[in-house]
Amino acid sequence: MNTDELILQLSADVPPVRRHALHLRVTAGMVVGGMLTAALVAALGFRSDLPSSLDGFSFWAKLTYTISIACISVAAAANFGRPTETSTRRTWLLAAPLLMMAGVAIGELSATPVEGWRDMWLGQTWSICPLLVLGLSVPIFLGLVWAFRRLAPTRLRLTGAVAGLTAGAWAATLYCLHCQETSALFVLTWYSLGILLAAGVGAALGPRLLRW
Amino acid sequence: MVEGLAGNSTAHAALLRALLPALRSYFGRRLGSLCEEVEDLVQETLISIHERRISYDPARPFTPWLYAIARYRLIDHVRRRRMTLPIEDAEPFLEGEGFEDATAAKIDVEALLSTLTPKQAMAIRRTRLEGLSTAEAAAAAGIGESDVKISVHRGLKSLAGRLRTVSR
Repeated sequence: MNTDELILQLSADVPPVRRHALHLRVTAGMVVGGMLTAALVAALGFRSDLPSSLDGFSFWAKLTYTISIACISVAAAANFGRPTETSTRRTWLLAAPLLMMAGVAIGELSATPVEGWRDMWLGQTWSICPLLVLGLSVPIFLGLVWAFRRLAPTRLRLTGAVAGLTAGAWAATLYCLHCQETSALFVLTWYSLGILLAAGVGAALGPRLLRW
Repeated sequence: MVEGLAGNSTAHAALLRALLPALRSYFGRRLGSLCEEVEDLVQETLISIHERRISYDPARPFTPWLYAIARYRLIDHVRRRRMTLPIEDAEPFLEGEGFEDATAAKIDVEALLSTLTPKQAMAIRRTRLEGLSTAEAAAAAGIGESDVKISVHRGLKSLAGRLRTVSR
């Protein structure tokens, strides 16, 4: 096709772009995926002591941990939607929630006799928790992939990884509503493992799904 | 670009048309004589610019965004064709890298010089950019040597002040 014709064709349809269109789009993808994940969590069943657990420290520590990871990584992911953005410097912020959770875990361990450590670490559900987090992250990840189809990431593997991390962290946040585990060491190990699995899947699929 | 983002299709078409020479020279420089591929890439880049407009942040300069898109299209193109480049031919390809930075820098310098008085801008351009001596610049402009020196000095000083406020 002739280039001039192409320009005419392209400029025949120029919908206005709002000022924060990029962030709106990423948020929309995330929220729609998140609603699906929330529905899945509801199907799994909320933890039976949900109202009373709202008063407990461990519930809020868990939420703070996963939500802060989600916020940091979604900011990074939205940034990578711009072709000019290639620096990974800000992802180091992720060390902050990790250190916070490690601090809580050490505090808990020091208050427990050594015989109790194993139970704190493995809890009741260690073998399924990471896989459930990974599975629950799928809708959110797909929502983010949809959002990125109109963006211009240039580092596809990295963008996929951060999108996976975001999806994993939100999935873990919603999974908190189902999961009865309370120890910080459990969260630090198995939640983080699930989130990392999601990031790994994102990194593996990124170059294929996000190509443009 | 900004007006195109607001939905002004005339401005959008004008922008796309205005980008053609820059894109053609960008790809032409790197792919050499493969003319029809250059035009293909230009078209693909225009489509990307159009479809992925929301990835542009109006608060930031436009050219880096444009060349980042063009660069991605070029890399993708090379990868898709599994194109290889004999090492002897790699030099012009690599020389092309950094070209857009140099162009952007040139545009910036011109924009800065235009904020000075014509005499100061002329004096700086002659002595600092074109490499004339103070005496030659003075003779060319028909003014005294000390006048040239003072203009350069004052001009650079006000530029430095301006850059400091910009970076703040």
